[in-house]
Amino acid sequence: MTALLDARGVVKRFGGLTAVDGVDISVGPGELVGLIGPNGSGKTTLFDCLSRISAIDSGSISFDGVDITRHRPHQVARLGLARTFQLIRVYRELTVSENMELSIQWRRVGTARLFGRTDAATRRRVESLLEFLLLSGLRHERAGALSGGQRRLLEIGMALMSEPKLMLLDEATSGVNPTLVAEIADRLREVNANGVAILLVEHNVGFVAELCHRVVVLDRGAKLAEGTPRQIMEDPAVIEAYFGAEGE
Amino acid sequence: MKSTTSGKPVFIARRGGPRLRLVLVRVSVGLLVALAVLPTLPGVGDSALFTLTLMLTSVAVAVNWNLTGGFTGYVDFGHAAWFGIGAYTTAMLMSLQTNGPQIGWPAPPAMILGAVVAGAVAAAIGRATMRLKGPYFSIAMLGTFVAVREIVRVSGGLTGGGVGLTLPPYLNRPLFYYIQLALVAGLVAFTWWLRGTRFGAALVAIREDEVGAEMRGINTTRLKVIVFSFAGFSTGLFGGLWAYQNTFVDPDIAFVELRTVDAVMGTMLGGLGTVAGPVVGTVALFWLRELLWANLLDYHLIAQGVLLIVIVLFLPRGLVGIVDPRGASVTGLWRRWIGRGARENEPGKEP
Ligand SMILES: Nc1ncnc2c1ncn2[C@@H]1O[C@H](COP(=O)(O)OP(=O)(O)OP(=O)(O)O)[C@@H](O)[C@H]1O
Ligand SMILES: [Mg+2]
Repeated sequence: MTALLDARGVVKRFGGLTAVDGVDISVGPGELVGLIGPNGSGKTTLFDCLSRISAIDSGSISFDGVDITRHRPHQVARLGLARTFQLIRVYRELTVSENMELSIQWRRVGTARLFGRTDAATRRRVESLLEFLLLSGLRHERAGALSGGQRRLLEIGMALMSEPKLMLLDEATSGVNPTLVAEIADRLREVNANGVAILLVEHNVGFVAELCHRVVVLDRGAKLAEGTPRQIMEDPAVIEAYFGAEGE
Repeated sequence: MKSTTSGKPVFIARRGGPRLRLVLVRVSVGLLVALAVLPTLPGVGDSALFTLTLMLTSVAVAVNWNLTGGFTGYVDFGHAAWFGIGAYTTAMLMSLQTNGPQIGWPAPPAMILGAVVAGAVAAAIGRATMRLKGPYFSIAMLGTFVAVREIVRVSGGLTGGGVGLTLPPYLNRPLFYYIQLALVAGLVAFTWWLRGTRFGAALVAIREDEVGAEMRGINTTRLKVIVFSFAGFSTGLFGGLWAYQNTFVDPDIAFVELRTVDAVMGTMLGGLGTVAGPVVGTVALFWLRELLWANLLDYHLIAQGVLLIVIVLFLPRGLVGIVDPRGASVTGLWRRWIGRGARENEPGKEP
């Protein structure tokens, strides 16, 4: 089985600081992988590299058989890679529906549709996704007026709008009401069951253990461990670096 | 299922519902009819028509500025450059002398080529400057404006240098007025249509969060350059029209900073990122200026500064924002401009 996402030796430096230090990471089609690590271990930076928002200093990244090391973010998105952001990015002056309508798969938008209006099929898709994410009642609300948790859900909805092959979720449950976290887990499982691969960053270890097939642990920019949730939880190096540090 | 995640009641904003649209259409049609019959009224002479034509020119420039400044969020301090380029290209073509008394190009193709040249230069410059953010873009455009004016001034052989160029006079104020009225009405209708398309919505997405837009598959560079070039083209066209009516251009009257300032002020006063904003705002600005000019001659610059403060404090969404909250606010634009845009109301990131 060839990997959907395959990154080799990714290095990202900020001045003297090496935020990502030669990380290899791959995600197979339909796989659900967790990425954990202490604060500042480089998870978000790695996501920025994988989604091509940040240029990398060395290494290579391929997605769905295409070398995307030099692609621009919108090209990566058009190949089927969607992501959410730890610091949420929604279009705040636009309504929830408009946010969703703008997150279509732009690969299919030629010049004619670029200068066309949102079609009925897109609107139906928006409706059903908003329903799925419990946001239907807010469709006409300005995105900037939503609560943090609602915005997280909206961002997941926007990622889903593009019919992705892989979603990178950066702390999709942070700031979300605990009762809703379980809902999100159910939604993600359902999305994943429909064949969408997911790579998610989480601080909620229980959430990761319950949901993920495989877990990758980062520490100070480098990969510390990789394995099933159970293996990871029992790995002394992980306990030392991650859970130990957390407990301090 | 229908309950929302927070306990607060669901507030469904009626954003420009059908009733508002109907009112707007009626007002626009009424206004157009009134403006169309105006020249036939007694007492409306050529000079009044010329004043109105100049106001329509300012309206058009503001509408074009709003495409990049209001919708896309790129605050262009050099927009008047496209006006000057359109004016000069038209003037140069129309005053072309090929050995002897032979007169240059006729006006319509000269003005169209003027617009095309302005659009092409905007495309070339925009490709470079639209990579810049916030104040860097604004200042680069101001630099472009000054540079273009000085290039025109020193290229005496082509442009007449500081002396300027005289165009063949053709004085028919009502005709120009009607042409201008039709073009401005068409431009406003076009902007309204564009705002409803995916393209128009994507421009707003770029304004709201460019990284997010790019990451969701929007080719932001391409869209920015397209809209910027169109704005350059359209402002260039009005520059050409102005040159023909003015029958004379020199660097200091074709390239005027005030044209940019008026577009910015008019758009902010009317409502950034709305279709009607730059129209309403520019008309209001002209009216206010007449009023101030008559009564506060010495203080009108101060008065304009005060006006800007009033807008920011009390009318961040402009006059149009009072009835239609869909535009962008001046304060939001300012936050994005200085680079605290997309990230400032982040909900509880754990320390
Ligand atoms: N733009 C930047 N400029 C300089 N340093 C940065 C930048 N972005 C991240 N860093 C640094 O890179 C390191 C990794 O940060 P990153 O945000 O990727 O960590 P993280 O694992 O996502 O942490 P958290 O769990 O807190 O979200 C940190 O030391 C951070 O200070
Ligand atoms: Mg992070």
